[in-house]
Amino acid sequence: MGQSILVVGGGMSGVSAALEAAEAGYDVVLVEKNPYLGGRVAQLHQYFPKLCPPYCGLEINFKRIKSNPRIKLYTMSEVTGIEGEPGNYKVTINQLPRYVNERCTACGKCADAVEATIPSSFDYGLGQIKAAYLPHELAYPYRYVIDPSIVETEDGAKAKEACPYDAVVLDDAPKETIEEAGAIVWAAGWSPYDASKVEYYNFNSSPDIITNVQMERLAAAGGPTGGKIVKLSNGEAPKKVAFIQCAGSRDVNHLPFCSTICCLASLKQATYVREQLKDAEVTIYFIDIRAMDRNEDFYTKVKADEKISFVKSKIGLIEPGENGVLVLNGENTTTGERFKAEHDLVVLATGMQPNTDLSKIPADMVYDEYGFVQNAEGIFGAGTVRRPGEVHVSVQDGTSAALKAIQVVAGR
Amino acid sequence: MATKAYDKSFREEVYQNVDSGEDVKLCMQCGVCGITCPLRDEMTHGPRQLWSLIRAGKRDEVMNSPDIMLCTSCYSCKVRCPRGVKVIDVMHGLAHYALEQGIVPRKETSKFGKAFWDSIYKTGRVDETEVPMRYTMMAGPIHGIFNMLEMMDIGRALLSHKRMKFKIGPGLPPSKKIKGMKGLKKMLNKAKAMSPGKEG
Ligand SMILES: Cc1cc2nc3c(=O)[nH]c(=O)nc-3n(C[C@H](O)[C@H](O)[C@H](O)COP(=O)(O)OP(=O)(O)OC[C@H]3O[C@@H](n4cnc5c(N)ncnc54)[C@H](O)[C@@H]3O)c2cc1C
Ligand code: SF4
Ligand code: SF4
Ligand code: SF4
Ligand code: SF4
Repeated sequence: MGQSILVVGGGMSGVSAALEAAEAGYDVVLVEKNPYLGGRVAQLHQYFPKLCPPYCGLEINFKRIKSNPRIKLYTMSEVTGIEGEPGNYKVTINQLPRYVNERCTACGKCADAVEATIPSSFDYGLGQIKAAYLPHELAYPYRYVIDPSIVETEDGAKAKEACPYDAVVLDDAPKETIEEAGAIVWAAGWSPYDASKVEYYNFNSSPDIITNVQMERLAAAGGPTGGKIVKLSNGEAPKKVAFIQCAGSRDVNHLPFCSTICCLASLKQATYVREQLKDAEVTIYFIDIRAMDRNEDFYTKVKADEKISFVKSKIGLIEPGENGVLVLNGENTTTGERFKAEHDLVVLATGMQPNTDLSKIPADMVYDEYGFVQNAEGIFGAGTVRRPGEVHVSVQDGTSAALKAIQVVAGR
Repeated sequence: MATKAYDKSFREEVYQNVDSGEDVKLCMQCGVCGITCPLRDEMTHGPRQLWSLIRAGKRDEVMNSPDIMLCTSCYSCKVRCPRGVKVIDVMHGLAHYALEQGIVPRKETSKFGKAFWDSIYKTGRVDETEVPMRYTMMAGPIHGIFNMLEMMDIGRALLSHKRMKFKIGPGLPPSKKIKGMKGLKKMLNKAKAMSPGKEG
């Protein structure tokens, strides 16, 4: 069992692949771009259909990783080169400096000392955070990060001075490492489709037009509003919330495929709104609601709420109305009536674009017309780089990729 | 309960005879075209509903829908349709097909077409004064004069900005002909022979 398996991406797919392979007795190198593991799931408020916090599942996985000496973890790292063939790869890994070493206890004194702020990418740009930060309150590894923008400033020096454990390393530098591996699992996940590309939704024209991933952060206790669903224009509670399905999905001009989860995500988010705001009305505008297999029950349950209504119409235009109201124009395809509907918070249900569409694997790979990767002999896709889907499907896919990788390295 | 099956023959007729008619099959009935169309408030059905009527075999409603001749060829629907349906091509295709069948779904468009054609055929030019005059007069002289009086403010503004020449009536005074009138007529005659209806 000399050869290791290299897993790229520490979301649910990659973590599952890494754990399954390591627990079967294989050495694993796990490479994650973010300073933490968990991927997009770490940013969700609750999971459909059970509406439980995603952290239960994530924490168990982190414990398994922590206690498994076979997993070697690189965070803030990307794979920049792959050479060789199945059974014998040399993989170049580029690691960005964190400026904080493993002595960090996450006491937070550096953040207190620093004045500069940066937009929170964890909150999809909705809030500002200190330039010395813990990525989120349950981050693994549980360690601070110092943003490169302050390293050479007074703030950088202040952070170093404030640290009681000598954990701040201002002369930290990028590192290039070469790892050997027999097989590779590529689980680089997805990105939310850029809503501003759907120009008729005028995404940038109002802070009260948000995307579904931002809605997760609005509802999450650790998010920019402490979990309160408000209109970002004035901090007030919304009264009429709209969800626009297929915002840039199933559209030849944008993502031509169905992401399979955004109908369910909106159903779930409708329950976030109704849970918090007893008087708020929710309207879901859809082409058709796609809630497959066991998720159909969830749809039926949400539909039973009188304050959640469903209108069969793809919205064709969002216009500004009076007093910051947003006017949605559509054609109700059940009644044939063309309508203008006023809402004060609009959520665009954008789809999942595979990260392999945005940046390619540095190896000779085949992709389908949408950028989803197809398996090669020694390099296997896992999770949402292979097809869009929910978490439990990603976990299964990670496991299946681990098995394929094991078949390559076993006995070598 | 007795159910009535859809008449499938009309949709096949459209798929086979109308320009880009088969695109109707691609439509997922989302409603974006109807909302994108700048003439949405003028249209009775809009493209999406027309496609639906085609599929349901409603021949008379489709072939007589003024919408298919109301389209201004702005292309918005074609650009935005999430399924890549060539909406405008089908709209024009349907109008063309209706005329071929001797149906005039929207008389005004047809008349305007004739006024436009006549002006070119006579002088080789589209005369900004002549075309609207001929068009309004087609409804009869009394109606025409009333219509023109209604448009007087616009006419005055166009005159004062030198966007239009003054005329007492169509051909008074006559517009100047272009130089290569003979050659143009040859082309126009050929086009006419190819086009459906009379002056569509
Ligand atoms: C609004 C919304 C709500 C959702 N809610 C639910 C829900 O309630 N229940 C559910 O089951 N599913 C839900 N989903 C789907 C869920 O988010 C996905 O199934 C899940 O994130 C897929 O995991 P993944 O590991 O494939 O990808 P990701 O979560 O994207 O993880 C990929 C990881 O790879 C890393 N990475 C990317 N590129 C590189 C690189 N080049 N090198 C190294 N690392 C890289 C990323 O940083 C990330 O950590 C939701 C999706 C959306 C859009
Ligand atoms: S870097 Fe130092 S000051 Fe900052 S959280 Fe870690 S231990 Fe505390
Ligand atoms: S899951 Fe729903 S919202 Fe998402 S692309 Fe499919 S149909 Fe559209
Ligand atoms: S926009 Fe395209 S898909 Fe949608 S209803 Fe119109 S023709 Fe059909
Ligand atoms: S091309 Fe015709 S049908 Fe299409 S949006 Fe423009 S006017 Fe409407």
